[in-house]
Amino acid sequence: MTTSYPVATQGDPPVAVIALSGQIDRSALAALNEAYDTVASSSTQSVLLDFHDVDYINSTGIALIVGILGRARAENRSVLATGLTEHYQHIFAITRLSDFIAVYPDVSSALSGATSS
Amino acid sequence: MNVHDESNWASKVERLEVSDELAHAGFNIAGKRVAGAQQGFGKLWQRRYSIDLGTTVTPEQVVADWKQRFATYWPDGATFHVALTGLQPGTVSPIAIASGAPGLTVSTGILVLYMDDISFTFMCPEGHMFAGWITFGAEEDAIGATVADVKILIRTSDPIYELGWPVMKGKEDAFWSATLVNLAKDHGITDVPVEETTSCVDRKRLWHNWTNVRHNSGLRSAWHTATTPFRSLRT
Repeated sequence: MTTSYPVATQGDPPVAVIALSGQIDRSALAALNEAYDTVASSSTQSVLLDFHDVDYINSTGIALIVGILGRARAENRSVLATGLTEHYQHIFAITRLSDFIAVYPDVSSALSGATSS
Repeated sequence: MNVHDESNWASKVERLEVSDELAHAGFNIAGKRVAGAQQGFGKLWQRRYSIDLGTTVTPEQVVADWKQRFATYWPDGATFHVALTGLQPGTVSPIAIASGAPGLTVSTGILVLYMDDISFTFMCPEGHMFAGWITFGAEEDAIGATVADVKILIRTSDPIYELGWPVMKGKEDAFWSATLVNLAKDHGITDVPVEETTSCVDRKRLWHNWTNVRHNSGLRSAWHTATTPFRSLRT
């Protein structure tokens, strides 16, 4: 089955929301890059990674997220995250991803965060 | 989300602690924080080295052996110190690497960030040549052969290491190729080429991290070596 992650634009200023799902591991590479390509072709200044429907992230998945973070920062986009369980918030802290990706409890607070940042 | 993988990850540590048995080798990493790719300085590189091990071993067997005998696969000139407890998530292991300068060994180390049956990941500490992650793994390819690989996502840590990147890149190529060849040999496989791919994920340097130079493991190792006679006099 081919994985794809829907991208929607929400909020004002507009934020590109990538709805991630399933397992974020090496199998997610193509879908994640495809989703970010959609974001890159838009004028949004922020991208929100929505992890609500994700059930597993391994270290390769973390590396994929870092790759997205690198691409976004190269294009002066901020990266936000929502839907992370306490465990994965902890992983973001260990890996120090949370130094660069603001984590919010839900989409609406993330959109508000994007507005205020 | 489920939590079946929680034990695969290291616990959060603010500062690295080196076990007493390895303290002599870990002087440069004790008390340091880990450094992800965004805490580094140079361009962000994604690199992969891979080797085809054929169909006689499974990915799980390869990775189990790799974890157990990790240090023995390293080429000459580099030492990976492993505590008696072996490699586990959260393990801090000192590393000593010949610098190329006479008498100078660069002391640094790693934190074992993640481990599962088919992969394990190290994270670099402050002061290491690189900031980021390195993942060792194996998987079956489309025809059922086991392919072992080393995947690296790094920036150089500071401006000094960034200046040395053209040289270090070549050394990295030789180092990880030799490691994979040794891994293959240990599984009875010889004369198999190592493939390498490199892509630049972010060409921007993180100039605000130039102060990382204060942690530079090369400079600190040189100082440690130079002052060894004086420390001996004091003890």
